[in-house]
Amino acid sequence: MQYSWGQRVVAYLVFMVMAILVVIPLMAGLLTAFKPQIIWVSSPPIWIFTPTLENFEFVFVQRQNLLHLRNSLIIATGSVTIALILGVPAAYALARFRFRGSKGLLQWLISLRMIPPIVVVLPFYVLFQTFDLRNTHIGMILAYLTFLIPLVIWMMRGYFVEIPSAMEECAMVEGYSRLQALRKVVLPVVTPGIIATALLNFIFAWNEYFLALILGGRNTSTLPVATATYVGRARVEWGNLFAINLIIMVPVIILTIILRRQLVKGLSLGLVD
Amino acid sequence: MKVVLQDLVKKFPASDSIAVNHIHLTIEDGELAVFLGPSGCGKTTTMRMIAGLETPDSGQIFIGDRDVTYIAPKDRRVAMVFQNFSMYPSMTVYENIAFPLQVLKLSREEIDQQVKEAAGLVGIGHLLQRSSRQVSGGEAQRVALARAMVRRPEVFLMDEPLSSLDAKLRIQLRTEIKRLHRDTGTTIIFVTHDQEEAMSLGDKIVVMDHGNVQQVGTPQEVFFKPRNLFVANFVGTPSMNLFDGTIQQNGSGLCVDLAGLAQPLPERFQAAKAGKEVKWGIRHEAVKILDDNEPGDVSGEIELIEALGSRQQVFVRAADKLFSVMIDALYPARVGDTLHLRFDASSVHLFDAQTGLSLAEAG
Repeated sequence: MQYSWGQRVVAYLVFMVMAILVVIPLMAGLLTAFKPQIIWVSSPPIWIFTPTLENFEFVFVQRQNLLHLRNSLIIATGSVTIALILGVPAAYALARFRFRGSKGLLQWLISLRMIPPIVVVLPFYVLFQTFDLRNTHIGMILAYLTFLIPLVIWMMRGYFVEIPSAMEECAMVEGYSRLQALRKVVLPVVTPGIIATALLNFIFAWNEYFLALILGGRNTSTLPVATATYVGRARVEWGNLFAINLIIMVPVIILTIILRRQLVKGLSLGLVD
Repeated sequence: MKVVLQDLVKKFPASDSIAVNHIHLTIEDGELAVFLGPSGCGKTTTMRMIAGLETPDSGQIFIGDRDVTYIAPKDRRVAMVFQNFSMYPSMTVYENIAFPLQVLKLSREEIDQQVKEAAGLVGIGHLLQRSSRQVSGGEAQRVALARAMVRRPEVFLMDEPLSSLDAKLRIQLRTEIKRLHRDTGTTIIFVTHDQEEAMSLGDKIVVMDHGNVQQVGTPQEVFFKPRNLFVANFVGTPSMNLFDGTIQQNGSGLCVDLAGLAQPLPERFQAAKAGKEVKWGIRHEAVKILDDNEPGDVSGEIELIEALGSRQQVFVRAADKLFSVMIDALYPARVGDTLHLRFDASSVHLFDAQTGLSLAEAG
């Protein structure tokens, strides 16, 4: 489509305002992460200074946030991987077969996504205490799976429903079993969808704070939990806070950049190639 | 390979209504059989049972001498072309055609040779390296044909493969399927709701409705000797002219009274009894246009004209009935003109108004 000069100016102005709203706080945070403690908070803000890594040194060495980074990585990748392994086949089955209770099952799954974590955290706490799951990686992964598996199933089911069932039926007539057809014919087509699903689930698990705070512990605290320790009652350690925030953001940004083609394809149901 | 269906029944799981109702059918080796019927008549379900994509509730399916009723689709040695799916989108044309061969564990050279041969047969040899996004709808359907052929199946199953294509392409591919059938001699079962397609392709036409086989016959038989009202109505465009009537005594003989229009009862229906309620039918081809009225002819006024290129379809109102007639496009017909119609007695159809069965068959 062709846009007139005027339309383009208006569009770019709107985009610029939106970008500024998003970028200014990010930029301020990014700068603060590299500021020496003495100018974290200053009025007026100082924009030009000699960058320092002392905030990063503080969070990694003094506060041992490297451990939290490790916990975040283990729990997020672990739960997303398991959620995909269990959720993708379930989504396929729910997309292709109608069986007794299949509709109710789907509704139950989405209801799991609608429950606020605060509702389940107490029973979870009791369960975790009973089964010695508190403060374990396995326990945190299990807790996240209750939210991630329904999300995977609902997203992936959407992608499977879009594919004509004649596609795997054709492969089945052409000498393949249903499982082979799924692997050779259907999965390649939904790969962008799987990647989009994986990334969204990863972000969810990566950012999760509440369950991690209650069910985790010294050995399993994740980065968001660690972040909160820099917001004290008396003062906020802005530089350290933004240093750790940067560490939280960077992996997601890198993943998104690497996967952006697939991601756009997946999120647009293949409309954008 | 010969295909035999014995007492095949399939119910819809959701509603428990019957999709395929006790079908008995034999398709001879090398035959091109067309399943023809309106949507929901059970033709596709029947084909899917032959392919193994649906399991019948009862009955048996034989391909050759093998009972395949409960055999997995992949082991039936059939190939299928679908209506709404033609190419695996993640593969090139070449990979698509090679796909059914890969499972057979053939050597790379064998696969290459067979892919090229099949692609050549359907005229897509120059497209082998294209991706699924780079081929047109007609080309994609040719890929599906090539992929079906390359397995050398015992039976080809084609489920409305042409209905998503435009009219011109449809006719072109129809001819190619006919040629493919002649060249390979493989049994083909073709499903369509398009009776013109059925007529032009089929050696044998199986007309279906409501899960029942209504008639099995050559295109000529189905057209000229419809076994019942459904077939008479469904086959032929435009549809047969059909009117309610009663058989009545007329002097020493019998006639058909069409509520204000008496028509002679043709010789072959003389067994019919007076007082019987019937449907009287005639195809537009058997209606002649006369310049002058003679006794026994019907006169009426033209109500509507539809130009159809070389011919025009004219609707004539006579004795409060609307007859559809085909006449030459050059005939100077105008709405309001009077036309004299004569019905060819040997082409008149009579059906029992109650059972719908043809009286020619019964009597």
